[in-house]
Amino acid sequence: MANENLNTTASTESQSTSTEDPTSEPLVEQSISVDSERSHTTANADTVIESRNLDVYYGETQALQGIDLAIPENQVTAMIGPSGCGKSTFLRCINRMNDLIDICRVEGELTFNGKNVYDDDVDPIALRRRIGMVFQHPNPFPKSIYDNVAYGLSVQNMDVDVDAVVEESLKKAALWDEVKDQLDKSALNLSGGQQQRLCIARAIAVDPEVILMDEPASALDPIATSKIEDLIEELAEEYTVVIVTHNMQQAARISDTTAVFLTGGELVEFDDTNKIFENPDSQRVEDYITGKFG
Amino acid sequence: MATPGREIDWAGETGQVSRLRGVAFELACLAAVGVALVSVLVLLLYVATDALRPFSADPGWHLVFFLTLVVPTLGTAVYFYRLEEPAGEVAYATTGLPVVGILFAAALAVVLDIELVTALELFALLVATLVAAGIVVVHGRYRPGAALERLGVVVAAPVVTVFGVPPVEVIRALNGVLSLIGLPAVSGARLPSLRELILLSPVAPLEWILVIVSVTIPVAGALGLFVARRRENRRDGLAFVGGAVAATLLAPVAGPLLGIGSTGWVLAVTFCLLPPAVYVEGVVRRNEGVHGLAFPLVLVGGILLGAVLVRQFGFAPPDSWLDWQFLTSAHSRTPEDAGFYPPIVGSIMLLIVVAASAFPVGVGAAIYLEEYAPASGLSGKFVELVEINIGNLAGVPSVVYGLLGLALFIRAINMPSGAVIVGGLAVGLLILPIVIISAQEALRAVPDSHREAAYGMGATRWQVTRSVVLPQAIPGILTGTILAVGRAIGETAPLLMIGAAASVRLAPNSFSDQLPAMPRQIFAWSSNLEPEIRHGVLAAGVVTLLVVLLIMNGTAILIRNKYQREL
Amino acid sequence: MSTDTITSRPAGLAARERIYKYVLFACACASILVTLGIVGLLARDAITFFTAVNPIAFLTGTEFNLSRGEFGVLPLLTGTLLVTIISAAVALPIGVAAAVYLSEYASDRMRSVLKPALEILAGIPTVVYGIFALVYVTPFLRVFGLPLNTFNVLSASLMVGIMIIPMVSSLSEDAMSAVPDSLREAAYGVGATKYEVSTGVVIPAAVSGIFSSFILALSRAIGETMIVAVAMGSRSRLFDFSEPLANLWRGNQPMTAAMVQINGADSVSGVGFQSMFAIGLTLFVITFLMNLASNRIAARYREEYN
Repeated sequence: MANENLNTTASTESQSTSTEDPTSEPLVEQSISVDSERSHTTANADTVIESRNLDVYYGETQALQGIDLAIPENQVTAMIGPSGCGKSTFLRCINRMNDLIDICRVEGELTFNGKNVYDDDVDPIALRRRIGMVFQHPNPFPKSIYDNVAYGLSVQNMDVDVDAVVEESLKKAALWDEVKDQLDKSALNLSGGQQQRLCIARAIAVDPEVILMDEPASALDPIATSKIEDLIEELAEEYTVVIVTHNMQQAARISDTTAVFLTGGELVEFDDTNKIFENPDSQRVEDYITGKFG
Repeated sequence: MATPGREIDWAGETGQVSRLRGVAFELACLAAVGVALVSVLVLLLYVATDALRPFSADPGWHLVFFLTLVVPTLGTAVYFYRLEEPAGEVAYATTGLPVVGILFAAALAVVLDIELVTALELFALLVATLVAAGIVVVHGRYRPGAALERLGVVVAAPVVTVFGVPPVEVIRALNGVLSLIGLPAVSGARLPSLRELILLSPVAPLEWILVIVSVTIPVAGALGLFVARRRENRRDGLAFVGGAVAATLLAPVAGPLLGIGSTGWVLAVTFCLLPPAVYVEGVVRRNEGVHGLAFPLVLVGGILLGAVLVRQFGFAPPDSWLDWQFLTSAHSRTPEDAGFYPPIVGSIMLLIVVAASAFPVGVGAAIYLEEYAPASGLSGKFVELVEINIGNLAGVPSVVYGLLGLALFIRAINMPSGAVIVGGLAVGLLILPIVIISAQEALRAVPDSHREAAYGMGATRWQVTRSVVLPQAIPGILTGTILAVGRAIGETAPLLMIGAAASVRLAPNSFSDQLPAMPRQIFAWSSNLEPEIRHGVLAAGVVTLLVVLLIMNGTAILIRNKYQREL
Repeated sequence: MSTDTITSRPAGLAARERIYKYVLFACACASILVTLGIVGLLARDAITFFTAVNPIAFLTGTEFNLSRGEFGVLPLLTGTLLVTIISAAVALPIGVAAAVYLSEYASDRMRSVLKPALEILAGIPTVVYGIFALVYVTPFLRVFGLPLNTFNVLSASLMVGIMIIPMVSSLSEDAMSAVPDSLREAAYGVGATKYEVSTGVVIPAAVSGIFSSFILALSRAIGETMIVAVAMGSRSRLFDFSEPLANLWRGNQPMTAAMVQINGADSVSGVGFQSMFAIGLTLFVITFLMNLASNRIAARYREEYN
């Protein structure tokens, strides 16, 4: 594991690409710096989610090809890659949200705490109660802030002190101070960033083990984005976080481990974030990260 | 290269010709819209003239009302339309809400009057329902996890409190089946329900007190909850309920004074005063279009002032066919005495049966198709078939549904020919596809991201539907249902097919009575050649029917507009 | 963490889900039952009818008369055809022109007034249109010297036409609004006028949707009962080719009105009563097939532009 060179940059590569291919989409103009404090080695952590030879099809089209990876506990794992590479599909496989799409078919194995979630005896509803999810666009219900956070408690019939859980979840989501006086107001009056933090509070209120985030900051402005990023790092103390992102700097800043998917639903490299951004094994990953677009 | 002569091409003669053609085409298209609208408008004016006979009044009468009513209301309406649109909407709503309220109050007054449901029954039903709801809530509090058990409680509690064990209806249906296959009827001991026990009570309070308890308090309570939530103050909600009850308690004084009776006063306050009060409070608080509140005042003030002046000068009012006597008496051979009361009552009862039969099934089917149905595989094919079938059923002629009602309800299961229930069920089948299609549209308008969020929290399909999708879709579903039910009231052909009688002298007071209905009576009058019928009674009936439909459609459009603004 | 937390759900939740699903599924199946009920129950009596009356005689007979036991459906069919053709001649051009105006020319404000107004037209009960035809339109047309009987084909058909205008205009407008703006812009870009865009681009692009609205409107006209029952009398007549126009001045009886008459008749033989079901089944099959065709065509244009 190469995490000694903590502040090495990828500036050389990015310069070389900007001259060669100015049209490529994710052009990395500034250096990607890897957050030194948040970096751990994967070897130290237990594996929570593991996929073995996972294939996913939408009808006839194959969306994921033979994915093998292991997501470590209480860390932030990032999935990056170009649009349509299957990273969101993989995320949705973990809590079986893909079940809602009729034509989606999953082959291979995906385990959660050692149990294949695609076994016949696994109940997707119960699974989703252990694995929470936050979506790309903030999607609070048109109810009050309080009712939004308490929603999971009511659908899961959890026998808890609802007021206390709502307060605690909003505190964990760094939203409590902003909304504590307006819990009865509609959640739709909040700003986009506040709404997204509310959605995070809603997800953690039911105390899941894993939180899946599907590009949680892509619809937000830079300030709201940085708040969400800080929040994600804090959440990793308690929860296993899997995040899909378009933004490579974001992945570099907040994640411990990174999986790079490339076109065709292929997992090209999965390793420590430092390693991926500084010294990837695969030339295609290096090209993608530096903006050459593999 | 372009010569100077050619350069004129794009600005000169040919341009003018093509522009002329364009204008002619636009005018032709506009004329098409006009032909459709104006021809019907003219016909409506004719029938209204026949029904109301405005020319039988003194010219002075017209002049007075023109000055006191038409000029001010038209003036304010034009002002709102041109300069202050939000106020126009407020004016529309504050005028419309009491009208809809009057319709509701009148419908309930009729229901009480014909003793379809007495006030005591209403009270017993309310108490029994409340007890059942209480049981369900308490069970949910103490055993929150036991979902299946709760479903059992949800079914069992109302059975025990409202229907009794076993329910009378079940015994009756069972005996019907037994007699059909030639077996003796069963009878035996049964546990009476709470509702039946209340009905047995030897003493009962006055009718208007029962109506306050069982109608005003629930309505005011619901509105009070709304007020409390909107003003974020529980006391305001309670104050609202208190005020509402206080207003109804004036009944023994105010009712007889106005000539509508104590019960009439209670109903009028409940439906015509409370909802507008809540609406007006909201308008004033938002301070949006407050000027619109002047419109109903101008309207009512104009009517009152006009009435006073007309009496003062002794101008004769028009001798309309459509008058109080027409609305409150039964059909008669002499045109002057002919009335529309039984058909109005029959149509209200028909509406109850239609709504009760088509709404639950239609909404249930829409929920299945939008939220549950698989899109692929063999069952996906089946669902596709169901959807195509619903689309086609919506276009099947109404007379065919009448034949279905005749063949199914009367000839196959021996229900009485021409009964209210048979007519209601036949028309219910007719509007079922319309209800399904409009409910599907309302469900489809709920964003998928809300469903995903709920599924991501581990909600089951039913939980997603009930707590996330339905609350957002309800206004749209209601709009579609009201429009469909409005269509049901005007349907005539199915009623003819199930043998609804041409003229019924007595208003029905049970669902197995003969069905008189507004369109059926109109059809019967249409074959009468007497000019007093054709240009009088018939026109009055048509206008009554159209006014009821206009109010229903107006309500639906009001709900739709409010709902669209919120999205 | 044990794995049983993801394999089992709180007690009863799954069972409750299943019960709700079945109840809702049963609701969805109700529509299928309605169709089966119509076909099955109508067919039962229709078959009894056809055992008593030769189907060939039914389809080719030129007289329909209950009291004489004549059950030829041809006069009823020509009656229906006559109403449909006249009402289509009124409604289709007016409906499409109105749709063009609403979709291409009307300002938003204008549209917000005209569309609800047309919706209200569609909400007027058909028995009222029948009254209009009988009481007001016929005397009005007589003013122009048309030799109309009290009950006549012309005014009833005109009212049927006006009744189906909103259906044609609203469905056609949907089809025209679905034409992407990029097509219009392309035409404006080469210097086309609004008239040329409307007639040369929008209408051709929306033609399948317009056509589907035509079929649906015709099926409505075929199935229309109350207007013809009120205003067209109760005597069936085969189309008289010697005096084509005279057919319009006289009363006639289409299939729907015949059903109403049979059902309302004081004394009617068993066979006569069953003939009503045979006519009803014929009507159902015709309209069902037309709706099917219309929905198919409409689905195709929606696919094209979505």
